[in-house]
Amino acid sequence: MEVWLLTVTLLFYLLSTAGFAFALVSARPIVRVLAPSFLLIAFVCHAGAIAVRSFAIGYIAVTNVYEAISFFACLTAGMGLLVQSRLPVSILGAIVSPLGFILTLGVYVFYTQARALPPALQSAWLPIHVTAAFLGYAVFVVAFSASLVYIVQEKQLKLKRASSFLRRLPSLETLDNLNYHSLAWGFLLLTLGLLSGAVWAEYAWGQFWIWEPRLVLSVLTWVLYALLLHYRSVGWRGRRAATLTIVCFAILIVSFVGIQFFPGRHGGEFG
Amino acid sequence: MEANLANPATSLMVVGLNHHATPVELREQFAFSDETLDGALSRLVDSETIREGAILSTCNRVEVVARTPNLDAANEKIRNFLAAEQQVTRSRFEGYLYTHVNRDAVRHLFRVASSLDSLVVGEPQILGQMKDAYAASSSLGTLGTVLHRCFHKSFSVAKRVRTETAIAAKAVSVSSAAIDLACTIFDRLEDKTAMVIGVGEMGEQAVRHLRGRGVGTILVTNRTFRRAVELARTCNGTVVPFDQLEKHLHLADVVIGSAGSPHYVLHSGMIEDALRERKRSPMFLIDLGVPRNFDPRLNGLDNVFLYDIDDLEQVVEDNKGERQLEAVKAEAIVAEEVESFWRWFSNLEVTPTIVALREQAELVRQREVEKTLATLKDLPPQAKEAVEALSRSITNKLLHPPLAYLKRRNRQARTELGRTERAPAQQNGHTEQTEQEGEIVSAYTFRQIFGLDEDED
Repeated sequence: MEVWLLTVTLLFYLLSTAGFAFALVSARPIVRVLAPSFLLIAFVCHAGAIAVRSFAIGYIAVTNVYEAISFFACLTAGMGLLVQSRLPVSILGAIVSPLGFILTLGVYVFYTQARALPPALQSAWLPIHVTAAFLGYAVFVVAFSASLVYIVQEKQLKLKRASSFLRRLPSLETLDNLNYHSLAWGFLLLTLGLLSGAVWAEYAWGQFWIWEPRLVLSVLTWVLYALLLHYRSVGWRGRRAATLTIVCFAILIVSFVGIQFFPGRHGGEFG
Repeated sequence: MEANLANPATSLMVVGLNHHATPVELREQFAFSDETLDGALSRLVDSETIREGAILSTCNRVEVVARTPNLDAANEKIRNFLAAEQQVTRSRFEGYLYTHVNRDAVRHLFRVASSLDSLVVGEPQILGQMKDAYAASSSLGTLGTVLHRCFHKSFSVAKRVRTETAIAAKAVSVSSAAIDLACTIFDRLEDKTAMVIGVGEMGEQAVRHLRGRGVGTILVTNRTFRRAVELARTCNGTVVPFDQLEKHLHLADVVIGSAGSPHYVLHSGMIEDALRERKRSPMFLIDLGVPRNFDPRLNGLDNVFLYDIDDLEQVVEDNKGERQLEAVKAEAIVAEEVESFWRWFSNLEVTPTIVALREQAELVRQREVEKTLATLKDLPPQAKEAVEALSRSITNKLLHPPLAYLKRRNRQARTELGRTERAPAQQNGHTEQTEQEGEIVSAYTFRQIFGLDEDED
């Protein structure tokens, strides 16, 4: 069931990628309806696959690197859909769809059966902690995408290469506002993730902080985002804010991926 | 009059440069201001080489329109004239100049008036600018029958194009193209403030568009306070005294430059101060002035987007495809009107002869009828009317062959002109044809035969 759902998910991520790519060059209204529908189907199937697996193992399925990636991809797709439904930023779909496809393909290829989690980690804090943290990451993907598009749009405006492609991109103001709001939300969620992790650690291990690379990097990322938000509020907007968002996101990715190769409670397999 | 008739037909020509090939840096050196235009016009037009002349000077084009008996001499004269008036050596701009002659000149003028040659095809300003150019040369007396009619015709062609094609509906003006661009920077315009510096026509147009698109606040500033007040009243804006421009600059999300200033009105220092004040919210600077109002280096500043008139062309490209079809229709209208004007123009040389012949015959007829009726005082009114009718029908019958000849010759001259214009190589073909019609009698000969130029006693 889970594998079947993942297959459908993959297919629809692919369809939605094609749809959004087509929407960039074509103004046909049908594309604008189809592409988000494909993404929605992909998201629902993906969430279904994760739910099936979670029910099978009895706790939320984010306990190894593949599960984590799958969970992250699913949340990102959902976040993309949510933002798109509220703002005219269909370009977001053109970023989260291929991202979802590539990440899910990785999960699909390296598919592993679920393993039992140490009882110490089986706690109500697990879903709270991982959901907050991963939702934060998903929101940061939105901030990153908005910044990326901002840079492209800004470049075109500066170089005066107004094309029909450019006109289909959201306005700079929309992108900059999206950047700001997603940074703020992402930061809030990241903070929640860190705090819930600390509380949970206190319960599970009797200490809220342990010196492991993953945690150090997480706090570092948190500080970076805090600084970014601070500078935004004092007037760093536009291109500079977009560039910094991209840099912060790159560090986030490095900490997220790179950490899998470090030993520790978060990296690789838990336990 | 005689010299004019004996000469071959005069020609029409347009010499100029426009935005298609000439960069703004060069165009701004050629722009005539309202003050310099009158003097220049009177230096351009003489009774010899350039019989009639007008100058069309906008930020996108500088064109000299002339009627001349000698195309080569006129061409030389106009080039020297431009060089002398604007103090630019001929070698610097000659590569950019275009010359249109006769039909092509008329077509060019009609196309310009119809906004088919504009940066933004279909934009309405050019017609107003052409009317201004017409008014200026008309009040100075540098226009004769031909150019008067040519300009008037170009206005009516523009009107036809506007009403019969969708070119104006589809197309956007330079200013509305700029506003489209504003919408790729800003989310919405309702909460934005626009500042207009200067009260030039382009700026006024832009302000009207901004109002139409629902921009929140409009600030107007101008060196002459009174004119700023006038513009502010028409667009429901607020006037900012020119010396307080810097103080209010930070309020503006969109700044439109439309001032006729020889120096830059906005410098990077001013903009940087404004940016700091507004927490680096983006600013969109639209420079509609030629010479340019804003320092071009401003575009290098973060969160500042500067577009001058040339840059706006790119936005316009977007709509070109849609407009193509309408442009084809418009070109057909222009072609039709060019032919009709050309028919009139090539008739012109003969037309005075026809009129003179008719007038003389009428004069003779009236004189003779009066003489006769004076001797026959007792004739009943009915008979008097019959005598009138008889005299009229005799003169008409007698005049018919020579008038028909003149009109026919006229048409021939026209096709001849057309043919030589289009394909000079076919010269032989048309000579044969005219030979079949017999020897050509010139309008001059006609005047001599009928004694049209002899003084009446």
